Amino acid sequence: MIDRWERAVPVFNVPIWTKPFKALLGLGTVAVIITLYREVAGLGPVSGMNDAYAWGIWKTFNVMTLTGLGSGAFAIGISAWLFKKSKLHSVMRIALLTSFLAYLSGLILIGIDVGRPWNIIWLFTPWNWNPHSPLLEVMFCMPAYAMLPLFLENVPPVLEYFHRYKPETRQFVEKCERIMVKFYPFIVALAYILPAMHQSSLGALMLLGGDRVHGLWQSPFLPLLYVWAAAFLGVCCVAGTLLFCSLMWKRPYDMDVLVELNRLGAWLIGTWSLFRLLDLIISGRIKLAFALDIYAGLFWMEMAFLLVALYMLIDSAKMRDARLMFHAHVLVGVGGLLYRFNPTTLAFQAKPGAFYFPSALELLISLGFVALAIAGFSLAVKLLAILPAPNALWFQMEAREESMNKLHQRGVPVNDAAPSFTD
Amino acid sequence: MDITRRKALQKLSTGTASAAAVGLTTIALPGEAHASDEVKVAPKNAVSMLYDTTRCVGCKSCVAACAEANQLKPDTSLSGGLHQAPPDLNAFTKNIIKLYKPAATNSAYSYVKQQCMHCVDPTCVAGCSFFALTKNQDTGIVSWNGSKCMGCRYCEISCPFHVPKFEWMGMNPKVVKCEFCQERLAAGKQPACTNVCPTHAVIFGTREQLLAEAKKRVAEHPGKYYQDRVYGDSDAGGTQVLYLSHVPFEKIGLPEMGNESVPSKYMKWQRKLYSYLVVPTVLYVTMVGVIRGNWKEHKHHMEEEQKKTGLRPQL
Repeated sequence: MIDRWERAVPVFNVPIWTKPFKALLGLGTVAVIITLYREVAGLGPVSGMNDAYAWGIWKTFNVMTLTGLGSGAFAIGISAWLFKKSKLHSVMRIALLTSFLAYLSGLILIGIDVGRPWNIIWLFTPWNWNPHSPLLEVMFCMPAYAMLPLFLENVPPVLEYFHRYKPETRQFVEKCERIMVKFYPFIVALAYILPAMHQSSLGALMLLGGDRVHGLWQSPFLPLLYVWAAAFLGVCCVAGTLLFCSLMWKRPYDMDVLVELNRLGAWLIGTWSLFRLLDLIISGRIKLAFALDIYAGLFWMEMAFLLVALYMLIDSAKMRDARLMFHAHVLVGVGGLLYRFNPTTLAFQAKPGAFYFPSALELLISLGFVALAIAGFSLAVKLLAILPAPNALWFQMEAREESMNKLHQRGVPVNDAAPSFTD
Repeated sequence: MDITRRKALQKLSTGTASAAAVGLTTIALPGEAHASDEVKVAPKNAVSMLYDTTRCVGCKSCVAACAEANQLKPDTSLSGGLHQAPPDLNAFTKNIIKLYKPAATNSAYSYVKQQCMHCVDPTCVAGCSFFALTKNQDTGIVSWNGSKCMGCRYCEISCPFHVPKFEWMGMNPKVVKCEFCQERLAAGKQPACTNVCPTHAVIFGTREQLLAEAKKRVAEHPGKYYQDRVYGDSDAGGTQVLYLSHVPFEKIGLPEMGNESVPSKYMKWQRKLYSYLVVPTVLYVTMVGVIRGNWKEHKHHMEEEQKKTGLRPQL
């Protein structure tokens, strides 16, 4: 019998306060402390950035590259809501959560990276905007997306939690849910227009880099390729995360949905690669790919990763092989992230002789806020109904809670029925 | 050849791909984008500098005068703390003299002065979120306003001449670049560098005057200057600092970029796409319509599930 993902069920049978979780929080704390030091000392002492490479990994990796992984809600949502792939509704919650956390950690990094953060206040005064600046577009749309549609779409699981475990809030929760349902289509549509705008604008940022961005990446189509890459990165991030969670917490997986995700990813990568190659061939820049230099090497690396991944996505969907699927998702991640990272750093031609490598403190900050996002994820899936599962698992969870409650009433010392922090 | 290729790309880009960038391939923009695109021209009274490599003796008095006029701390990093000797433009240096000396000993060498080019269509201004960098409508001077700048350093990434520099130390960092000695101009004086130059290798005037002067020099000495032309006349859409050189421009930090400015070359359809937010609004309204239709179906499906399992529906 095939398992179906019918509803979201919390990861109820595992402790929250585990060693990896503590380690992630530790990394986060370190990052916060270094951030405080950075605010006082300036960017120079904590980072390897310099006048030639004025953007370091905080912007180029955490924001411009990693938010691609956080575009799952965008790509899967469009295909579920606009193209009626109704199977994909079951994975929307995990897509929304991963996207929200990826964006949140990216936004924090923008705040740390800008040298004069107090002037971000001008975002609230439209008459001070430069409407043609791609950076303004990013600075406005990214927080707007994360704080409005993405945040609101992540509220239902929280409301549900209160409804289940805090009966006194039920009336209020139901009222909220009614309002939510009324406005849902408007929120959902906003959740697609905003990322389409800022994910393409992240690419547009490098348009103004002009000839400093190597010809294999610089293209009038850079914004389009960027948002497209975000789409397939997001899909494969969600699919990979689902498989990883299923494996780690021994939850049943729905092969039909995974195959659907694979198809979506494969279609996006296929069209993306084709478009990228056509752009290079028609404009004649393809000849740069046959130069014997590091840029051509990077280009072929990207292409190799993604084309192998494409083959594996199709193949694993055909064979319904979860392990092969997971490997494909990882490969997509590597190739896609490399594509998004290259024009900003590796294929960005700063002055001759200029050098940049992130400093240890810079890396710790970058890593720390990613760690916090992962910690947030592991906390959320245990407390809230995020991960999809068969209905049977839900009944299992209810039965477990009931038996715990009975033991509790009889005075047997057990943990609360509600998810707890202890073993 | 290069130009036709670029034109072809632009034609393509203003068409279907621009709409596809927002995720849907269904709505195409009209294709006559560049017909209506304005080409930016320098203001009538644009202030200007003309630097002539054949006249510069590399005395660096302009470097010292610039630091003094702008109250910049001397950068002594190359001289071991002894005297001002900056390695490059940086947070303490708005103006620098460099030496280009090719490996072959008998070929020509040259000094070169570097500072902000005050482009006619500046890339830094095009990218600046809150107009912390602005181009004066009257003088054409590109200047920085600390009360608007959030320190994102996009100007450093985008400037094709590698000019704006950032203060990497401290909690109130500034963006540092030549601002054409605005205060001195307001007081009726010349910029410090042109004022002090003993050989008049760099001179001050309006852009019109200096372009005429430069073209006169080229005409009087054919073959003396590289390509017999003035750099900045139309390069990168035109700059207000003009160069005459006896060595190839790209050897002294003046890249060959064609006659289009970076913003007009690369940002055309990006600008169209967002003009008056028409495209995003249309897309949004369309999506709301489609989702509302599908939403009814989804709700129906959820209700059925609830009847079947007795579980609360999950949004």
